[in-house]
Amino acid sequence: MTTLDHIRNFSIIAHIDHGKSTLSDRLIQYCGGLSDREMEEQVLDSMDIERERGITIKAQSVTLNYKANDGDTYQLNFIDTPGHVDFSYEVSRSLSACEGALLVVDAAQGVEAQTVAVCYTAIEQGLEVIPVLNKIDLPQSEPERVINEIEDIIGIEAHDAIHVSAKQGVGIPELLDMLVTKVPAPVGDVNEPLQALIIDSWFDSYLGVVSLVRVKHGVLKAREKIKIMSTGKFHEVTKIGIFTPKASDTDALKAGEVGFVVASIKDIDGAPVGDTITHAKHGAEEALPGFQKVEPKVYAGLFPIDSDDYEDFREALAKLKLNDAALFYEPESSEALGFGFRCGFLGMLHMEIVQERLEREYNLALITTAPTVVYEIELTKGEIIHIDNPTKLPPVVNIKEIREPIVIANILVPQDYVGNIIKLCVEKRGVQINMLYVGGQVSMSYELPMNEVVLDFFDRLKSVSRGYASLDYHFDRFQAAKLVKLDVLINGEKVDALALIVDRDYAMQRGRSLTENMKELIPRQMFDVAIQAAIGGQIISRQTVKALRKNVTAKCYGGDVSRKRKLLEKQKKGKKRMKQVGRVEIPQEAFLAVLKIDKDKS
Amino acid sequence: MQAIIPLSLYIHLPWCVSKCPYCDFNSHGLKQALPEADYVAALIQDLEQDLPKIWGRRIDSIFFGGGTPSLFSAEGIDAILCAVRARLNVAPSIEITLEANPGTIEQQRFAGYRQAGVNRISLGIQSFNDAHLKTLGRIHGSKEALLAIETVRQAGFDNFNCDLMHALPQQSLAQALADLQQAIANKPPHISWYQLTLEPNTRFYQTPPTLPNEDLVADMQLQGRELLANHGYQQYEVSAYSQPNKYCRHNLNYWKFGDYLGIGAGAHSKLTCPNTGDIRRIAKVRHPKEYLNPEKNVIQKQDIIDKAQLPFEFMLNALRLKQSLTWQLLKERTGLVKQDLAPSLNKLKQLSLIEANDVTMTLTPRGHLFLDDVVAEFIST
Repeated sequence: MTTLDHIRNFSIIAHIDHGKSTLSDRLIQYCGGLSDREMEEQVLDSMDIERERGITIKAQSVTLNYKANDGDTYQLNFIDTPGHVDFSYEVSRSLSACEGALLVVDAAQGVEAQTVAVCYTAIEQGLEVIPVLNKIDLPQSEPERVINEIEDIIGIEAHDAIHVSAKQGVGIPELLDMLVTKVPAPVGDVNEPLQALIIDSWFDSYLGVVSLVRVKHGVLKAREKIKIMSTGKFHEVTKIGIFTPKASDTDALKAGEVGFVVASIKDIDGAPVGDTITHAKHGAEEALPGFQKVEPKVYAGLFPIDSDDYEDFREALAKLKLNDAALFYEPESSEALGFGFRCGFLGMLHMEIVQERLEREYNLALITTAPTVVYEIELTKGEIIHIDNPTKLPPVVNIKEIREPIVIANILVPQDYVGNIIKLCVEKRGVQINMLYVGGQVSMSYELPMNEVVLDFFDRLKSVSRGYASLDYHFDRFQAAKLVKLDVLINGEKVDALALIVDRDYAMQRGRSLTENMKELIPRQMFDVAIQAAIGGQIISRQTVKALRKNVTAKCYGGDVSRKRKLLEKQKKGKKRMKQVGRVEIPQEAFLAVLKIDKDKS
Repeated sequence: MQAIIPLSLYIHLPWCVSKCPYCDFNSHGLKQALPEADYVAALIQDLEQDLPKIWGRRIDSIFFGGGTPSLFSAEGIDAILCAVRARLNVAPSIEITLEANPGTIEQQRFAGYRQAGVNRISLGIQSFNDAHLKTLGRIHGSKEALLAIETVRQAGFDNFNCDLMHALPQQSLAQALADLQQAIANKPPHISWYQLTLEPNTRFYQTPPTLPNEDLVADMQLQGRELLANHGYQQYEVSAYSQPNKYCRHNLNYWKFGDYLGIGAGAHSKLTCPNTGDIRRIAKVRHPKEYLNPEKNVIQKQDIIDKAQLPFEFMLNALRLKQSLTWQLLKERTGLVKQDLAPSLNKLKQLSLIEANDVTMTLTPRGHLFLDDVVAEFIST
């Protein structure tokens, strides 16, 4: 049994593409977690979507045994962290289970803005941060420049940073030795009452709720009775274990260790993330400090295309919510789309991932309405309200002032792209507040309307900088703005689910490109379809999808009608993926036409 | 007592000189000598196996389709027809059609077909434009097309059809109409005018040519129909036009959801059981090699049409016709009554696509234009 001083809990902080997944695979391989044959590319990213998109969404962990230079064997618990700007909240959760973090920086690309933000979180939480230069095998790597950047931008000593090539397996033993030497052993007492922090929970159809925990004090054993402190409910532990990275059962998890717990919890709210597990008898008095509640930044309506799916949809959201604390939802009803849910997300990527998971894992066909941020409205009566849905905007006469959320955005970019970034920020109504030259990069700060940032700013930023610019942002304040509601009418009828809140100065232009885009997305039907954009009662643009002239094929069929039958059946199925609004069939993509507007400009 | 459902006989002759890039029928390019005698023997064996399914029923029409049936000798066709007459009750005024490729026409052979009892020829002309014929991979040119019409007439056929296609790659409205005009000038009793579509398992589907857009195709169809009407060709089905009383009786039987027995490689049958009213669909093995193997069971697949799919199956055929359909026909052919279709009928009426009373149902002019939407409404989900 490993004693506390032979345990090291750590995370890897790295920007996407800086090689975190490859490095983790290397560490697992070196410590013998998987045989070479089992070693599949990037074992940690286990969700399909993560693999396809090359990003990590959910925290995962691996327990490794490492025989160090001093001859002792250490238990290394590696807790993975997500890497996209949308998921910085998840990062702080993973970090709270660790005493140290490897700051992995691409020796060619240098420091990225998000890495900076995550690194500060780690330092705030008291973690020992170890800088690591990866990809030193690349001919364009510049270790000296990057070391300076780490010291200048982040402000930590980096001159003894380890040089690693995860791809070629260079520097791995040195890195592991450094980890054992520098990262402090966890503090905890196996004799104290049990306190285990739930870092993550997910629902398994066979096991019920599975929770990833970090035991702070005490020892947790299989078949013990436990209490979930927030709910006060008792459960019996049926299974505990660690990921090696394969799930493998153990007898106990003790103070300082990280592993999973299964306790036949069937209720999906049974083991909330951030909660504390203790023993049913002689349990701890106090829960551990949980996690800060995260506020969604983007809201959108999600509606099942088939209204019969509503209950399945509700259940699916509840299951996703279990290990995605940032996901928010409440019932919403729309005149055009019927019953659905208003959902809150951390950003566009989060929204896309949730929608994809709902469609893939739960087999739901959904319509997503245009995403929006939260606006603050001061009514003439003096009351202040917040709205997350354009349809809830009160009548203009009742509004004294509309305020939009402003963020501070920190951007790091190589000097060559500064001009492009400035242009983009101006287009997005940004105000520069700071600009600094550090190493080979420029650090810029802007005040930007959150609305502009959450929709497609990140993608645009990447495209104007050939992928080199990086971004981190946080909410700063609400600020008065000239905003109006843009309504969309289909064949003369206002479709609530298509309404948007836009800047008055850009309203005409937006209305025009929105109707133009929708024209491309709505297929021709048996009659003309008029798409209009309006502000107040005034129509500002109109497009028409001309009626089909015919829908009959003068085709020769002999005695075999099966092909024609299949064709018509397939077409009919395709129509089921569209939502009928009035007489008009509108495909899913048309509800998100607004997102296409901005993409077209890039 | 069930009304007697008319019965037709379809005979598939699966070989062509070469396979056209748009064709998704069961046709096979001829790589060696035509195994005519073997195939005739196989057809007769196939027919004999099917005899119990149509015991005592009369045959009202026969259709030789392909492939290119005109690759068969007059003797071969005669042998097949003799075998049919010896085994089945054939109506005295029976229509017997044979499909012919203008590239394979020789007068003596056609006179022989006529003598064997064939009384209608369907010529696969497709276009009179040499460039388009080449794109379509046809083995004939416009000269052969015109000659073919002449030959067929001289061989004694007063009843024949010209197959034409429109919406061809790079085809203009004027070119589509010119093809029709050329056909009309030759006064065939019947014109079938099909739209070229890209079907799976064809060369065009794999490397699609550029086809005229939807609106241009609509113009072709509307103006083409008018042109044909002005010259006495009445549209009686989506793609069929004829001089008065020169309808294709064999095809009319398909569209009226009548019964048919199909023999030959890949042939399809639709047969109603006189006792139960169940409608059975049968498909024969597709590949000629398998079909010619005497060890092999020629029936590839057979199943009974699900009752829930009957309205759709019936409408898919019956609504192709321009004439109103009667509820009486629906009842005779499927056992269904108007009330069984009430929800679909109401919806289509609201959309002004059909009109219906207690006796008939009629597509509105709009319903004819949006026939695929009308038919899809009857799909049971």
